[in-house]
Amino acid sequence: MIRSLLRLRTFAAPYLGTLVLGILSFLIARVFEALVPLFLARGIDSLAAGEHALLIPVLGIVGAVLARFAVVTLARITVRKVGLNVGFDLRQRLYECLQAQGLQFFNRYTIGDMMTRAVADIGLIQRLISMGTILFVILVFAAVVGFSFMMALSPALTVLILPPLPFVFVYAWYASRQMGVASRDVQDRLSDLGAHVQENLSGIRTIQAMVQEENEVRRFAATNQSYADAFYRQARINSAMAAWMPSLTSISSLVILGYGGHLVLTGELSVGSFTAFFMYLGMVVQPFRVAGFIVNLFQRAAVASDRLFEIFDLEPEIPDRPSGKAPSQISGKLELNSLHYRYPGASDDALRGIDLTIEKGEIVAIMGRVGAGKTTLLKTIVRLLDPAPGAVLIDDHDVHDYPLAQLRSQIAMVPQDPFLFAEPIRANITYDEPERALDAVWQAAEAADLRQTIEDFPRRLDTIIGERGVTLSGGQKQRATLARGLIRSAPVLVLDDCFSSVDTETEEHILSELKALRRGQTTILVSHRVSTARHADRIVVIDDGRITEIGSHSELLARGGYYAELERIQREGALEADYISVGTPA
Amino acid sequence: MSEASAPRDHAMFDAELSGQVLNLRLLRRLLRWIKPYRITVLVSSLLILIASGLQVLLPVIISLVVVDHVIMGTDQRVTPDLGMIDMTDWLTATFGAPPLVAACILYAVLHLGWAITGHLHRLTLISSVIKGLRDLRLDLFRHLETRPSSFYDRVAVGRIMTRVTNDIEALYELLRGMGTLIGEFVPFFVALGIMLAVDVKLTLILLLALPIMGGVTMYFRRATRQLFRLVRLSVSALNQNLQENLAGLQVVQLSDRESHNLERYTEINEHNRTLEIRSMRLETVYGAFTDSMASVALGVIIWYGGGALVQEQISLGGIILFTRFIDMLFHPVVVLGEQTNILFRAMASGERIFQALDWDERIHEPEHPIRLPERLRGEVEFRHLDFAYSPDAPVIRDVSFTIAPGEKLAIVGPTGSGKSTLIRLLGRFYDFDDGHIFLDGVDLNRIHTRDLRKRIGVVLQDFHIFSGTIYDNIALGEASITRARAQAAARTVNAHEFISRLPNGYDTELSERGQNLSQGQRQLLAFARVLAADPEILVLDEATASIDTETELLIQDALRKLTAQRTSILIAHRLQTIQEADRVLVLHHGRVEELGTHEELLAKKGLYYTLHTLQFQDVSEAELDALT
Repeated sequence: MIRSLLRLRTFAAPYLGTLVLGILSFLIARVFEALVPLFLARGIDSLAAGEHALLIPVLGIVGAVLARFAVVTLARITVRKVGLNVGFDLRQRLYECLQAQGLQFFNRYTIGDMMTRAVADIGLIQRLISMGTILFVILVFAAVVGFSFMMALSPALTVLILPPLPFVFVYAWYASRQMGVASRDVQDRLSDLGAHVQENLSGIRTIQAMVQEENEVRRFAATNQSYADAFYRQARINSAMAAWMPSLTSISSLVILGYGGHLVLTGELSVGSFTAFFMYLGMVVQPFRVAGFIVNLFQRAAVASDRLFEIFDLEPEIPDRPSGKAPSQISGKLELNSLHYRYPGASDDALRGIDLTIEKGEIVAIMGRVGAGKTTLLKTIVRLLDPAPGAVLIDDHDVHDYPLAQLRSQIAMVPQDPFLFAEPIRANITYDEPERALDAVWQAAEAADLRQTIEDFPRRLDTIIGERGVTLSGGQKQRATLARGLIRSAPVLVLDDCFSSVDTETEEHILSELKALRRGQTTILVSHRVSTARHADRIVVIDDGRITEIGSHSELLARGGYYAELERIQREGALEADYISVGTPA
Repeated sequence: MSEASAPRDHAMFDAELSGQVLNLRLLRRLLRWIKPYRITVLVSSLLILIASGLQVLLPVIISLVVVDHVIMGTDQRVTPDLGMIDMTDWLTATFGAPPLVAACILYAVLHLGWAITGHLHRLTLISSVIKGLRDLRLDLFRHLETRPSSFYDRVAVGRIMTRVTNDIEALYELLRGMGTLIGEFVPFFVALGIMLAVDVKLTLILLLALPIMGGVTMYFRRATRQLFRLVRLSVSALNQNLQENLAGLQVVQLSDRESHNLERYTEINEHNRTLEIRSMRLETVYGAFTDSMASVALGVIIWYGGGALVQEQISLGGIILFTRFIDMLFHPVVVLGEQTNILFRAMASGERIFQALDWDERIHEPEHPIRLPERLRGEVEFRHLDFAYSPDAPVIRDVSFTIAPGEKLAIVGPTGSGKSTLIRLLGRFYDFDDGHIFLDGVDLNRIHTRDLRKRIGVVLQDFHIFSGTIYDNIALGEASITRARAQAAARTVNAHEFISRLPNGYDTELSERGQNLSQGQRQLLAFARVLAADPEILVLDEATASIDTETELLIQDALRKLTAQRTSILIAHRLQTIQEADRVLVLHHGRVEELGTHEELLAKKGLYYTLHTLQFQDVSEAELDALT
């Protein structure tokens, strides 16, 4: 636990001075707090003696209270601010780390998991600093200061009230840890309950169609009951603590009452000090109510710290170390030299030695079954997956020699999954460069056959898409992501099966536009449709990570291989054989 | 029977309810759920009275008995001691204990009594309210469970869910707060009574602090309300940004937007920190202020007490008594300040809960339903059926067709053509009164939906997997479906093989929404479920998602067995399914556009032909219209 928390020191370092200052202020605040009973005792003693020298005690009390107020406020603000600052820094760091992650990362972690780390785990560390440290410091300082003052008043009485206190502390420790367990139980039951309702409501149509309402209510009653039970258990522990903590403490109170009273009678203790003792006892004991809570906070923050550093420790998946020797403008020649790729943890290569040269200005179609390696190949070109050195050359330079930013801006890839942000459609099309001119936006929309669709929207380019706005059909989404790729008029355009939900005729139209638009520029496209592929200068068929056929439409037809077979099936419209694999995303 | 239900504004369900006022009507209504446990509540109230009485006696022993009576020896008794002195004297006289020891015994006994009664009070109070809220939550769940599809179409599931979870939770919070308040305020009034009896003037002076604290609390609340809202908004902006960035990370990287996005996130993060710091400052000052009030009061007591002591209006013990009561006087106000936010939040939650409970949207059941025979033949007829979800947008227009018993009908058509609506109407998930549907000649509107739905087996696209075992998922609580029958069904639809490979076979627990099964396996399981229930009519909304070839073959085979000898309506996306149907119905803009066998329709070169060339992909009506 200590080691996990110590790792946070790099984040605390910038604020260490402030933190120490804040903590020391708490010590001063405790001293001022302890002065109040002292002045009160003097006042009472003065009254008991029949004198009425009350000015100093009263001014003393008010002064001490004001001083404490000021110091405590400052100390708390100081420490809490450190907590918020550390939280801020952690969030920044997490965001940066996540941005450098790639496909492997998302195979291991879910977005929900990352959100929990960003919200709950950082929140815990923030709480540890702004609350845990304060509570812990108060606990220690209150005991130290309180006992010092009591010793000063009456060593004999102080020593005698000590024996019951360890029991109080042990009980407080025990009970508040139990409390921690019970609260976590309540939280767990609550999230069970939430999950149950969520699951139930999202399946409500099935439930009603199957006439399962009664059954579901019965099942829910059980979940509901177990939450109520957990809640009651927690309340019971809490209530028991509220009853027994003061009861155990009251043994010490009895000592003050009996022995202290006796000392007053024998004249060894003043009435005022007698009263003050009760207050000091409270001062020492009160903070222990939360002892278990503090321990719990430290433990949970340690786990949170581990979970965060697990992400911080990840190396960027795709290191960006340009050699500086590559040209700053890519012209569009691509060369794959015996390109192999194996996914981490896989037992087999996904690409098994691809050799292919694509000249500037060429249009190349890549075809093959689901899982043949088409998308993997495309991803190595823009380094979404990292190829071995020398396997991918662009303009005769290793792909690793280019800065990532240059590589990805000059090779525009339109991925298979048409992801759009819940923003205006314009912002989606100009995602890489928000300042693009309106003309360019419409041009790209036109080329992607999206102009009419946008013009039909009530707010045209400003129409927000997604959950809170207009829902696009699968084909419209694909065309929008296509527009996002086209607007960049990059020397190399890579289209990963982005016409699968677009009907053949529209696709035909887009492709012929595209050919004119991209004359002299390189285009690589993956498709399942022969009608798409025939537009290409060359067609490459991949199977099981290897190139099996390569050539023009007519050449491949003449060869009578996979491509020719596919052409026959699609022409005849009798799609049974390959219907399942054709048109389904990998 | 079918009086047209008034159009509802479902936006109301989503609207934010403020609940800024203390709504007594609402509280009274809440009390109805506590009523069954009123005796426990009554016992609890008695207990808190006793506990509070004992609690205030403790300082009396310290100040009036020990300080005044034993130490100072003053016997003037200017301050009422509630019989504590006599009690001590009696103990001394009876057991011969020295007065100090007697006081200690008295203190110990009273303390123990207070601890026990207080504990019992809290337990009884909490248990009765927990039971009440448990009942309320179950009632709410039951109510929501039986709302019709028209409700679930319009209202976001998240919104409904928060009623059952967060809103009821807010009431639990309120309960926790109320418990604390009662535990604070009953002793407050008892202590106040004693203090007034001891010294009216001093008590009133001290009470002056309450309006000051109240005022500061109000000010603090007002100052922070807006701020807290902004903080909440900034937190959700922060999370939303991160979430979206992660979801679209590949696009972000391909568009080289990392640094730009980081800048935007930094801005949001900084904005959030600024707001957090501002609200933290206010909270800290307020917290320190309320901490200090009680201590300042100590000065006042000494100052004033000194004067009164000279005039023999108060004893030294009386002054000390006041110092011991200070916490009891001020703490409740601090707690009240802490609880107001919870209280108002609970008011808004209460409103939302009752709004949901009062939402009486329902499917109209016939007054005198016709009971269906033991076994239907399975003839379905749609006759001039019209339907619209909202009056100005008809979805089904004059649909008429008949399906013979045992026939397989495939329905195809572009997205939005009304396919799903048609099968929903067959299950009477919506009320309709324009046109008819007949089941074996019986008008659907004259059949109780419970009876009807047992006869129609539905496999929806997103078939729901219940958490529970595989067997539970096949039998669905139907006692007549034995394990043997469930297994037989699973065997028939090719699900047995993958089930028996699972670690615990049919007893394997399925996680939430069946995520430990593949898409194809879930489909097979859904088939097994339908087959085990053996309905006369099968309705299938075929999944569009991709499934590996091998499983796809199993599914097709299972579907063949499932539809054999059974009237089946299939919303089909796979060519094979369509080809194996007896007839195909093409739906377009809510109308029956074409109806016939696969070959007939292909030969017709109409809409079906076009859909066929599009490989029955997900096309919208508009896209299809552009092509034809």
